[in-house]
Amino acid sequence: MLDFFTIFSKGGIVLWCFQGAGVTESFTGPVNALIRSVILQERGGNNSFTHEALSLKYKLDNEFELIFVVGFQKILTLTYVDKFIDDVQLHFRDRYKNELEQKGTLKLLNSTFAFEDAFSELLKLAEESSKARSPVPMRSFKESEKSQKTVKSMIETKGGDKGKEQGGKKSKNTKKEGECCLLRVVVRMFGSLLHSVANVLQLLKSPKPQKPKEKQKRVWDNAGSSDKNLDYSDKNGAGSGDGEKNLEAQFDPRVQINSMKGDLLSVDYDSSENGEEEEEEEEEEEEVGGGFGGMFGMLKGLVGSKSLSRDDMEPVLEKMRDHLIAKNVAADIASQLCDSVAKKLEGKVMGTFTTVASTVKQALQDSLVQILQPKRRVDILRDVMEAQSQRRPFVITFCGVNGVGKSTNLAKISYWLIENGFSVLIAACDTFRAGAVEQLRTHQRRLNSLHPPEKHGGRPVVQLYEKGYGKDAAGIAMEAIAYARNQAFDVVLVDTAGRMQDNAPLMTALAKLIAVNMPDLVLFVGEALVGNEAVDQLVKFNQALADHSMSDKPRLIDGIVLTKFDTIDDKVGAAISMTYITGQPIVFVGTGQTYNDLRSLNARAVVSALMKA
Amino acid sequence: MGEKTHKDSPENPFEPFIESLRQQVEDQDPVILIGVIVALAVVVITCVFLKYFLTSKTVQSAILLVGLCDSGKTLLFIRLLSGKFKRTQTSITDSSAPYRAKNERSSSWTLIDLPGHDSLRFQYLEKFKSSARAIVFVVDSAIFQKEVRDVAEFLYMLLTDTVISRNAPTLLVACNKQDITMAKSAKLIQHQLEKELNTLRVTRSAALSAQDGSVGGSVYLGKKGKDFEFSQLPMRVEFLECSARSSSKGEEGEADIESLEKSLAKL
Repeated sequence: MLDFFTIFSKGGIVLWCFQGAGVTESFTGPVNALIRSVILQERGGNNSFTHEALSLKYKLDNEFELIFVVGFQKILTLTYVDKFIDDVQLHFRDRYKNELEQKGTLKLLNSTFAFEDAFSELLKLAEESSKARSPVPMRSFKESEKSQKTVKSMIETKGGDKGKEQGGKKSKNTKKEGECCLLRVVVRMFGSLLHSVANVLQLLKSPKPQKPKEKQKRVWDNAGSSDKNLDYSDKNGAGSGDGEKNLEAQFDPRVQINSMKGDLLSVDYDSSENGEEEEEEEEEEEEVGGGFGGMFGMLKGLVGSKSLSRDDMEPVLEKMRDHLIAKNVAADIASQLCDSVAKKLEGKVMGTFTTVASTVKQALQDSLVQILQPKRRVDILRDVMEAQSQRRPFVITFCGVNGVGKSTNLAKISYWLIENGFSVLIAACDTFRAGAVEQLRTHQRRLNSLHPPEKHGGRPVVQLYEKGYGKDAAGIAMEAIAYARNQAFDVVLVDTAGRMQDNAPLMTALAKLIAVNMPDLVLFVGEALVGNEAVDQLVKFNQALADHSMSDKPRLIDGIVLTKFDTIDDKVGAAISMTYITGQPIVFVGTGQTYNDLRSLNARAVVSALMKA
Repeated sequence: MGEKTHKDSPENPFEPFIESLRQQVEDQDPVILIGVIVALAVVVITCVFLKYFLTSKTVQSAILLVGLCDSGKTLLFIRLLSGKFKRTQTSITDSSAPYRAKNERSSSWTLIDLPGHDSLRFQYLEKFKSSARAIVFVVDSAIFQKEVRDVAEFLYMLLTDTVISRNAPTLLVACNKQDITMAKSAKLIQHQLEKELNTLRVTRSAALSAQDGSVGGSVYLGKKGKDFEFSQLPMRVEFLECSARSSSKGEEGEADIESLEKSLAKL
């Protein structure tokens, strides 16, 4: 039933593999795809992955640096796979502990792992256990609870109790009908007896939720205890003048007169530094206070080899998750990241003198740097040169929601390209927003005045291709690209209108523009201020591009431009959210509104700003 | 007596202080004296040790196997160490083992196989670059034409790294997968890489500085004004062909890594 099962080390050497009967394709491809998309992109939260027709499940063994992967057909639903992997892992570890414990790889290379027989046994066991669970047979009447009850207990009399053994229902003193007094007395006695029995049983059993006896007054945490404090009538009546003076006196020390005279002061970083120092002092105090209490426990944790378990890491991960969210990383992504880090560290043996917190922090830092590192080569100038040699223009499309800075950053990027000697054609495909074309024309004029045509071979370095307002954006883009090819422009920058990700017709129009014109680079422009919205925006944009593309290899977002980076201080979490969702690199970072405010991303600096307390 | 003191004072104005010190030292208990001397000696020895450990250069005894993803680094690693064939997957951590070339005279190196995936390679390179005695850059010769820009960019990053250009380890470019019929020869690969690196010199220096102002890799490759050639580099560069998988017999059989082993023996 299984297609394959591999055990390989994290360094890439396959220790043992098994291929199911009748399976001819090699499993190297799917397993590599699993490694690249799940483990390396820190999506290790759930442990299953589908690749074409195969469904893959994996398990990491962090103590011996091994990975266990099982693959089976997607259409089968095998219930025993999870438990099976765990069993195989434990078995393999116990059996080959000696070979695996050595840190060097030589022993791994030289030893052969003859695991087939044990594996086939485990597989047989697992398959049988999944079949052995037959459906539960129905109970016969004799076994049911109803047959145990007496007929009398099930008689419902009006005003009496229902004779069931359940949590105390109050016996109501309801209307008495005209029945025999004796019968009523007997029933009442019986009811009260049952009631007391039920109460006793309830005390013994776990209590079922009771309805409150009466409506209880709700108590809030911060509420005052009485209304007397709210009665200001005495104060107001007697000393009104004194009361006002008191109020003024209270506010005076805080407001400093004459401090706002003159120009406004600029934003400086002193306040934040002071805050950091205070925080550090507080942390140190806490550590010292706690240290004496659990000194031996702490020492035990520091020295010696101790393997990490989920419970150890849980409090640290909670703190880290909150820290990341405070730094503007989207909430789901922060929790997915923490889950992935937990999976990576589970079972790992810590070295001496390392605490759980430091190990987790280091692992989180490494995975953040890994996420921010681009997964492909990012060198726009080189690609433009390549397109130049092929005598076609290099087309870059900018898309994003309203107001993120598409046109501004387009102007900055064209300035950068002009400085490097390329000629740029700007295609004004924003035919909706009032003033969009004029804005681009102003940029064009300014850029041409900064780099006059006389210095660049008599030809203006920037030209604007526009067809006014209200026309179809995809058509304008196509014409612009054809014009650029004829006039031998090096780069075409296509500016589109901002659109909300929920707006289906506009998303269709954007997808059509991209599918028809096949640009070389589709850049999503996102502002660094965005928080959880980033996830929604990117997912919906990618979804729309994939849905409306007509071809099997749809053009998705290829890169991200992170704008308004100067407005966030060190809350740089948006960078993480965006790269995590798409897996695409951040190509440009916009740090202001002048032409020089264009930067590239430095992964280490962003991560250190993110991890800074 | 008066004349003596009169003569002494202009020569040695500190004399009375030294006298008083000496008297105080003599007054002291000898045990405390010994204790003070021992403490001073310990402090001096610690300082000497620290200085020795902190400023000593890291010993360079590592051979790094680097390259793009799927170029065959892990299989080469296995072949060099044991000569066997094992299936491999994409590495996500480094593997290291001591290596001794077949030549009797050569010393023992540490062979380190680094992952080639884009998101991991720089982290591991940072860790190991200072201890590199030689770098084996593995290139997939069969699909080189499609990947030439990625290969060149990685090579550029390696060569312009400040630590590596300072230590100048030997660079061996191993053109792997020669058993495939469409594999390019080492000469062709060298020529293509020189052209690409020539172009990259221009585009990389024009690249944007990072958002905190730092510019990466300020080392200029080769000589200004002339086309880039590998002979212009401060380190020894050698191009060789090899094949980790043998051509005829599939998985079993000897791999053709003679030239690589010879070059490693020459280190």
